[in-house]
Amino acid sequence: MARHWKIAIAILAVFALAGGFTFPALLRNVLRLRRAGVTEEQARREITEQPISTPSDAPGKAQLFWASATSAGALEATEVNLPLSADPTLRAKQLIAALIARAPSSAQRTLPAEAELLQLYVLANGTAVADFSEALPTQVPSGILSEQLVVDSIAHTLGANIPAISRLKILIHGQEAETLAGHLDLSGFFPVGAPDAADAATPSAASGPQPVAGAPPSASGITPQPAPTSPR
Amino acid sequence: MVVDPAHGGSDAGARGAAGVLESDVVLNFARVLRLALEAQGVRVLLTREGNQDPSFDDRSMLINGLRGAIFISLHVASTGPVGTVRAYWYGGVTGDLPEAPATTGARAAAGRPAAATRAGLILWNRAQESHREASRRLADLTQIQLAQKFRGSPEVPEPAPVRQLRTIAGPAIAVEVSSVAVSDPGQLQQMARPLADSITRAVTDFAAAGVAPSRTN
Ligand SMILES: [Zn+2]
Repeated sequence: MARHWKIAIAILAVFALAGGFTFPALLRNVLRLRRAGVTEEQARREITEQPISTPSDAPGKAQLFWASATSAGALEATEVNLPLSADPTLRAKQLIAALIARAPSSAQRTLPAEAELLQLYVLANGTAVADFSEALPTQVPSGILSEQLVVDSIAHTLGANIPAISRLKILIHGQEAETLAGHLDLSGFFPVGAPDAADAATPSAASGPQPVAGAPPSASGITPQPAPTSPR
Repeated sequence: MVVDPAHGGSDAGARGAAGVLESDVVLNFARVLRLALEAQGVRVLLTREGNQDPSFDDRSMLINGLRGAIFISLHVASTGPVGTVRAYWYGGVTGDLPEAPATTGARAAAGRPAAATRAGLILWNRAQESHREASRRLADLTQIQLAQKFRGSPEVPEPAPVRQLRTIAGPAIAVEVSSVAVSDPGQLQQMARPLADSITRAVTDFAAAGVAPSRTN
């Protein structure tokens, strides 16, 4: 069996298992909140915005990357006191939650305040799969510069605080999205770690983006076709 | 060559508080650029002539049928210092690429047409892959011109995984002007001419370097 099919099956199994564990609790919460007469939005917030605390939490200093207050279009590391889990998945959730909730100012904000991290998995190969709510694509200012800042903010923050993560895949509401907000390609993986990692992968490594194995087929509407130069 | 005024139709792209729409501004930029290029004897196609919204793949098809063509996608940003311009080539992603035959097999299994890689054909959805070095050279040359004409612009271009560029089988860059946040839309209007001149100059330099025996950066 081809290697990437094995990976696909493994990813699907992880999703199915996680779904099996979380769904009943989620359903109970939703039903309870609906009875209380609150809106769907409030219900979702209450579920997703519970503070993330874990048994292995230790107070620590995390490096979070927000937009620079002085140099437009650049990121800047800020040291933040944050309880940090020893578990890479939980730690990644803590960091992204802090990126959203604790932006120093609106000018330095990278992820929209309305955006929610719905789910996050760290696969054995070091890939972090982060699933965001629709508010991410709808609230991020459209543009190459602004969309790149969002991705870099997440990738640099994960890279600076979680050595186990080497790349990032962004999903929107559980689906592979074609772009973040009209420009940036979400079909591939973003390098996580040193900001130079991206350049290292650029020249002859020929690393174009690769749709995640097991992702819903053609959510992006791309139909592979023979190149027009093909001798047909 | 193909000039791409990005967005259009229901997709206005970036929107400014003063009512500036990216899709309108880039169409004007593209028309001015076409005139400048044609004055140099370059044949130019636009991916849209009016307020239509062809898909990323429709736009890619336009150039992928042409041999030796160059693709330039024009944008106006939401952010960035007003009056600066940035060029991008496709990069900034990493991949754990499966072996080509496996990819082909997976596509075939999924009931979709397989794009073989062995017979010298390319995978449609990664068409840019083998052109990234050329695209980077074009971006370098363009950014040099932009830095001269638009103060505060970077000296060197950045790689960015711009979706439109991924499916282009040829040298391709995106050029993004900052920004729709101008208080007076006339400010962007005034950038059309120097922008067209910068890009035309870069394209001419690129073509000249392409026929030279040594291909150093
Ligand atoms: Zn745009």
